[in-house]
Amino acid sequence: MKISLNWLKEYIDLSDISVEQIVAALTMSGLEVEDVINEREKYKDFIVGFVKEKNKHPNADKLYICTVSTGKEDLQVICGATNVDVNQKVVFAPIGTLIPKGNSKITKAKIRGVESFGMICAEDELELSDDHSGIMILDDRLKVGEPITEALALNDVVMEIAITPNRPDALSHIGVARDLAALFNREIVLPKVELKESSEKITNLVSIEIEDSINCPRYSASAVLNLKIKESPLWLQERLTKIGLRPINNVVDVTNYVMYETGQPLHAFDLDKISGKKIVVKSTKQESSFTTLDSKLRKLLPNTLMICDSERPIALAGIMGGENSEISNDTKNILIESAHFSPSSIRRTSKYLGLSTEASYRFERWVDPSSTLFVVQRAAQLISEMSNGEIAKGYIDVYPNKILEKEVSLRFNRVKKILGYEIPEQEIQRILTKLGCKLLVESKEEVRFLIPTFRSDLEREIDLIEEVARIYGYNNIPTVDRIAVTLGAKIDQTEFADKIKTLANALGFYEMINNPLQSEHLASILGNKIPLLNPQSVDMAYLRTTLIPGALATIAKNINVGEKNLFLFEIGNVFNKKEDVTEIKSFDDFTEEQKALFIMTGRMSEKSWHSSEKFVDFYSLKGMAESLFEKISLDNVILDSYYHGENPIYNYFFAKHIDKKQICIGGSIKKSVLKEFDIQQEVFCFELDLDYIKNLKRVPKKYTELLKFPKAVRDFAFIFDKSTSYQDVIDFIKKSTSKFLKSVSLFDLFESDNLGKDKKSMAFSLEYYDENRTLTEEEVEKEFLSLISLIENKFHAKLRGN
Amino acid sequence: MLEDKISEVSKLFNDDISKVNSLKDLENIRIKFLSRNGLVAELFEKLKNVSKEEKPKLGKTLNDLRNSLTEKFESLKQQFEESVNNSNNKIDLSLPGIKKTIGSKHILTQTLDEIKSIFKSMGFSIFEGPELESDYNNFSALNFPEDHPARDMQDTFFINKNYLLRTHTSPVQIRVMQNFKPPVRVIMPGRVYRNEAVSSRSYCMFHQVEGLFVDTDVTFAELKGTLVSFAKQFFGENLRYRFRPSFFPFTEPSAEMDITCYLCKGEGCKVCKQTGWLEILGCGMVDPNVFLNVGYDPEKYTGYAFGMGIERTTMLRYGIDDIRTFFDNDLRFLKQF
Repeated sequence: MKISLNWLKEYIDLSDISVEQIVAALTMSGLEVEDVINEREKYKDFIVGFVKEKNKHPNADKLYICTVSTGKEDLQVICGATNVDVNQKVVFAPIGTLIPKGNSKITKAKIRGVESFGMICAEDELELSDDHSGIMILDDRLKVGEPITEALALNDVVMEIAITPNRPDALSHIGVARDLAALFNREIVLPKVELKESSEKITNLVSIEIEDSINCPRYSASAVLNLKIKESPLWLQERLTKIGLRPINNVVDVTNYVMYETGQPLHAFDLDKISGKKIVVKSTKQESSFTTLDSKLRKLLPNTLMICDSERPIALAGIMGGENSEISNDTKNILIESAHFSPSSIRRTSKYLGLSTEASYRFERWVDPSSTLFVVQRAAQLISEMSNGEIAKGYIDVYPNKILEKEVSLRFNRVKKILGYEIPEQEIQRILTKLGCKLLVESKEEVRFLIPTFRSDLEREIDLIEEVARIYGYNNIPTVDRIAVTLGAKIDQTEFADKIKTLANALGFYEMINNPLQSEHLASILGNKIPLLNPQSVDMAYLRTTLIPGALATIAKNINVGEKNLFLFEIGNVFNKKEDVTEIKSFDDFTEEQKALFIMTGRMSEKSWHSSEKFVDFYSLKGMAESLFEKISLDNVILDSYYHGENPIYNYFFAKHIDKKQICIGGSIKKSVLKEFDIQQEVFCFELDLDYIKNLKRVPKKYTELLKFPKAVRDFAFIFDKSTSYQDVIDFIKKSTSKFLKSVSLFDLFESDNLGKDKKSMAFSLEYYDENRTLTEEEVEKEFLSLISLIENKFHAKLRGN
Repeated sequence: MLEDKISEVSKLFNDDISKVNSLKDLENIRIKFLSRNGLVAELFEKLKNVSKEEKPKLGKTLNDLRNSLTEKFESLKQQFEESVNNSNNKIDLSLPGIKKTIGSKHILTQTLDEIKSIFKSMGFSIFEGPELESDYNNFSALNFPEDHPARDMQDTFFINKNYLLRTHTSPVQIRVMQNFKPPVRVIMPGRVYRNEAVSSRSYCMFHQVEGLFVDTDVTFAELKGTLVSFAKQFFGENLRYRFRPSFFPFTEPSAEMDITCYLCKGEGCKVCKQTGWLEILGCGMVDPNVFLNVGYDPEKYTGYAFGMGIERTTMLRYGIDDIRTFFDNDLRFLKQF
């Protein structure tokens, strides 16, 4: 909200305080000043100029060559405005002036071959209004050469203040002044209302009835009669322009002015358009529609609070007036409304309609119920003064539901307990009193205050403590430099995922973070997707069911920029509705699981002079999974199943189960899936169920004594039928030998015509040893030879070599 | 007599070896002197015929000879081999090394890791909570009244009326307090979502770290101390800071912590909107209503909470000017950290 410093000074004396001090004090007390426009600074280079001559530009029909006097010298200036003329006083920007609009600097320029030494300005260029219809023509009495900061009184400071939702009382100049009074220990002075009333009684003109007193506890009104709608006086127009409002006419301008002065939104009805001389405030029973004064027909829910006359609704309470009772240039008599509406009622309707106005913004936060009458009379006075109208005698003030001032106690020791610092009792009382609270009772231990109705946020002791702290100054409360730490076990729920990340890095994978919000298409590949109720776009309308589509999209993007060799991983949550669930009603209706995805494509390592190219394949993927398992103490876990087909994602794949629960699945991604992402190269990935794995019971690691006796190593190679699987051979070897055979590994595999049709060679290396003694040559040889013949018989294999 | 022979062989060896030009010459010398049928072996053969009295002395001399010749031979051989390696087998040492790729954690993870380790050193535990939350945990339990404008502070993605994507990590506070009795001292990192238009400054999701400490005598002064210590460790010892009153429904008093803008050092620039200050976190004393909602006695316990965004801090630190860069996952970006 924009606050004008000159305006503020109507209510508080700040003459001895610098702008910097005011800005700092407001920011440091919770009214954060986000921007400061200091007009003296902004307009420092502009002066009043005098147009001495005006000639047509020889090379341009729409331009004029003017001679502008600055009081010191005469300058040649090109001007394109149609309204420029000799003997005018104008706003002149000499060379070097910074023009607020567009933030550009005036330089010496040649325009169509003619030099120009400055600019004659229009209002929009100074950001005084949006008007660019012509240059500003100034009062003839102004002195040529005088800075416009003096001549036009552009000497205000306008602050943009961010008001938090708990401080509706600060949404006005008086509200901000009240905080400043506490900060600088001053008094605030409220405007005086002095009414010159006519003999016509308001009660003869209109009656007011509140039907829904819950949503409208108070309704005050004044009437101004025989007025003339016209432009507001200059001072009022300037006030409004400074804070970013567009002046309209004397009635609208005053209602706006008083709202920004007091925080109370007002509405002016054309009294002659109110039928039946009657106003009824009530909530609708059924769905209805209503045309607001912006000429929009709005559909309304039942239970919408409306201001009605004897026949029809005439305003959407607290939000916007109706077209049917709007004031026009011919309006003679007006009724000014100043009410208190229930915040939740206004908010509900405003949200439903998607219609937020300055009025609704304030009503849904809280408007002071105690000052409605004062405010409406203040407005009536101003309107009558500037419209030649007469104020109807008396007022109407219906207040069926009186809102009482609350009483709140504050214990001094509680202030210390919360803040860790003792603020003097006198200071506590001073601060709260300055903010408008009335001291009721005072004792050694506590004070009791009556809270003004404009501070709806002060209800509890803690609220008062905050007020004291913020005005006293957070930075005046000391900062401790030691803390006590509780001994005992600390928990780190992120530890396991962090470990996986470190291992992934060691394996050469880079971490990615993908957006969990996806298109319907991507979220449909796997699982049971959950839609958002209010998505931002169709591309982000569902939660991801698996990490794979996001990763593939990332791979596709990288390939497009030339990064084709990718080792990426992601740890993140995936979301699935449980089967048969239509609507999520509890946490049991869906799963949110942490998964890890490892995905790889392209070359195994960067293209190098040193070694031949190797591309990622199924076995490198499988090896990554196995290496990872070893490091997370799942080394007894072996990928236990292999499949071709029958999976929406994978062409062929492996899986791992623990207690029948699948904890890992991975393989070669189907071409059809890759095609969706326009990926032409092979991609491999595996996904781990981290939530499950991290909670598995692990056998604590134990030291195994290093072998003291030599190992006997034997190699053999067999020619097998091509259909014989590695796994079968390994299993058979393990089954068929004694405990001395400690390891078998495949070290060579090939197919060749020399071996015969549909044959392959597999070579194994075997290690024999015993932990307690050296095995004899004979023992090993016997075992080895017997294994050879067993394999030959079992697989019809032929020993190679020899 | 054998003694003479010994010195003769020694001299002969020295003559021969001084003429050696190649490894092959050297091998010939080995064969001539040190092989099984070489001159030294011949001398040992002759030792058999020596008298018992002379044998030990001559035996020792002969052994010394063999050792000395062997040593000279080996040393020369090594010299030759080294020089051969250096001259004949010269390799191009300037060829690039063979690198092993070590991946890296996402820069947001790295930032978070730093934050975690600082708070761990101050005795905080680390907890997580779900991203798909109930409206109750995300708002109501945190003292956001129904139909209150405070809810507008955070644009929310809803799943339905009662479930949503959490807009902050604060609901994890509720979960922790519902499950543990004080004292609790935890930080709660995680992903949050906001229904805001995607631009260079804002994204539909980002990451936060929440902090919470509840015990019998936790004060605002301690909150300040803890956060100042954190900020100094994270941003640098010479940091200037300020605490500014603010509003969060779940804390009271509430504050925002600003630090001197480290681009302009407080002079005022575009990044700090000319103020010289950068807001880095929100914090405050836990509101008594929150304690009541989780069954803590607000008369007995006090506590503080704080929360900060990871993206913003990371962007400032590394000069990243578009938040979307984090989630594009361009390998060229990921490899930089």
